[in-house]
Amino acid sequence: MWTTSRFPALWLLPVLIPVAVFTIFPVAHALWTSLHQVMLLFPGEDWVGLENYRTVVTGEYFGVALKNSLLFTVLSAPLVVVLGTATALFLNREFFGAAGLRSIVLLPWVLPGAISAVLWTWVFHPGWGVINSLLRKLDLIHSSIPWLSDPKLAFVSVAVAHVWTQIPFAVILVMAALSTLNKEIIEAAEINGATSAQRFVHIVFPHIKAILVVLLIYNALTAFTTYDIVYAMTGGGPGTATTLLSFQIWKESFSMYDFGAGSAVAFIIVAISALLIVAITRALPSDLFGDG
Amino acid sequence: MKWKSFVVAAAVGLGMIAIKPAAAEDITLEFTVWNYSLDTIQDNARKFEAENPGIKVKITDYTWPDYHDSLVLRFRSGTPTDIAYVGQDWLPAWAAAGFVAPLDDIAPADVLADLRKDIAGFSLSDMTHKGKLYGLPYYADTISLIYNKKILADAGIAVPKTWDEVMAACEKLKAGGMEHPIDYEFNQELPNFFDAFVSQVYGRGGDLFDKDQKAIFDNPDNAAYKQLEWLAQAFKKDLVQQDTHESKVIPSMNTGKHAFTVVFNYVLAAMNNAAEQPLAGQFALAPMPGDAHSALGFTKFYSITAQAAKDPARAQAAWKFVNFMAGKPYKVAKRWAVEKGLGFGQISLFDDPDVQAAWNKWIDSATLKQQVATARGGVWTDWTSVWTPYFRPLLAKAMVGEASVDEVMKAGAQRWNELREKMMKK
Repeated sequence: MWTTSRFPALWLLPVLIPVAVFTIFPVAHALWTSLHQVMLLFPGEDWVGLENYRTVVTGEYFGVALKNSLLFTVLSAPLVVVLGTATALFLNREFFGAAGLRSIVLLPWVLPGAISAVLWTWVFHPGWGVINSLLRKLDLIHSSIPWLSDPKLAFVSVAVAHVWTQIPFAVILVMAALSTLNKEIIEAAEINGATSAQRFVHIVFPHIKAILVVLLIYNALTAFTTYDIVYAMTGGGPGTATTLLSFQIWKESFSMYDFGAGSAVAFIIVAISALLIVAITRALPSDLFGDG
Repeated sequence: MKWKSFVVAAAVGLGMIAIKPAAAEDITLEFTVWNYSLDTIQDNARKFEAENPGIKVKITDYTWPDYHDSLVLRFRSGTPTDIAYVGQDWLPAWAAAGFVAPLDDIAPADVLADLRKDIAGFSLSDMTHKGKLYGLPYYADTISLIYNKKILADAGIAVPKTWDEVMAACEKLKAGGMEHPIDYEFNQELPNFFDAFVSQVYGRGGDLFDKDQKAIFDNPDNAAYKQLEWLAQAFKKDLVQQDTHESKVIPSMNTGKHAFTVVFNYVLAAMNNAAEQPLAGQFALAPMPGDAHSALGFTKFYSITAQAAKDPARAQAAWKFVNFMAGKPYKVAKRWAVEKGLGFGQISLFDDPDVQAAWNKWIDSATLKQQVATARGGVWTDWTSVWTPYFRPLLAKAMVGEASVDEVMKAGAQRWNELREKMMKK
């Protein structure tokens, strides 16, 4: 008889069923779709094997989207980690208003990505955005800087907006790691004449390096798969300046009605993400996770 | 004998219930819209409900940039949808995919025949696919060149009639201190990003496709090629400020820092809205520059979905709603025109005194009539709505100088012709 005492795995069913329905089935279906011709304008769903993958990889936009995605990841992930760590170190001190400031720093994380994108679109507006207005008032510029209409500047602007949304999470994790650091060791080092840089390099960093690696991998994946900021700020433009691979999933599926190609792009992203994680972990020193 | 009385009473009661006719159930129609003036749409729906007891209308709205993709997802997933706003550029693909149903199969033939007679030519062709009518107009418009009368007058510049004159005017204004004489709605993910380009090409008297629907715009002598070269030059000379949506174009133009824009006519109504805009009254419509002064005329319309059409009762309820919103006596279309300046496909509304009185406040009727008279419908095929998302980023690349006009036009033409061949074989 099927009882939980005889088959303990039955206890897992309430968890396994939703996972199967909401994770395994959609992924399996997406894989199936990527191997079939699933296009709105053509009847049937014929098996095409790897043809969708071939079409995507040889298409007009894949090369530039891949290049942009890799550049976006290399630019933003380390920046999030560095800025997040610097902010966490600053907020880890006690000073007047520290508690309030810690709450304010978390705000970008609370906002949905699309709202952040709309906000930054206004900040970067060439005519009345706060950045150009401030630069004009300080007499640093005499003509508007086209933050979102120049291809190179648009890329940087979207990266800035993305980094801004990710810093709070980095701050939280680093502050959590710092909270487990024995303050007496820091005080002893200070008494013995260690500079703040020396204290960071020899005490703080070894203590938090594991969490920094986790943050780097997490932010690399987030940057590589980001979609909402790009969609809402620039729509992948101007031209293909901010077109990322994740954006191409939406484009292929819902604009060009080719769900097979869209699913193929999704699995290509999965494969590249896996390679990214392997590359990052292999690039790290083997003793990184030793005692600090 | 009380129990006998009870039994008799119960039997009579049950008999009455058995013979009482079942109350007719209300039909709730699912209506999807983009959210322009949502309160007006909701009010119109409530008025329809008041006149049609037993039919309710539930409205689901999306933003304009998200509308197309949301509807594709909605249709594919089978989400109940009875009536939808449809764009002329999506109709062939949506009809081929079986999303929308012809009105010819639902509405009385004589009513449709009567309505057809009063719909403008380009509007009728926009709503017709393979000889069948798929909707009635929500709104029809042209995309036009709008200019600031005061800026031009102060600079001593005549209203330009050719694109060379526009360029000269912009260069003169820039030399006089205007940083970006043109404010352009630059959002390559919006369908109207391509439509605005087509309208400019029509101004030159050009075509993008030949009579067999083959792409011809990769020829350097073609008007579309020349217009993209013009746009690339304008961007290169830093004459253009980009704004991502008409809602930003309106306040930008009202700063007095830009002289020209290319937008829908109803945006002119918003720019000239004295209650909201500081420079209201300074903006005017110019015939699209070029040899032909033509422009793209287009229609957005109410369509009944294939889902609704499968159920006769729902189909009739949906038809009642569509006829209320777009049929005679055109109460709703007139309301849009008078209150919001939305154009219309119903020709007789041009002669309506209330429409004329309202429109004379923000547009010169003679110029508008001239523009509408020369307006042409676009070339909308089964593959247009697949091709334009591919081509729009390429257009943008050429404009900002990321790619040459030649590369972009060749890539666009090649893809169009490939899709055309594939569709012909289907």
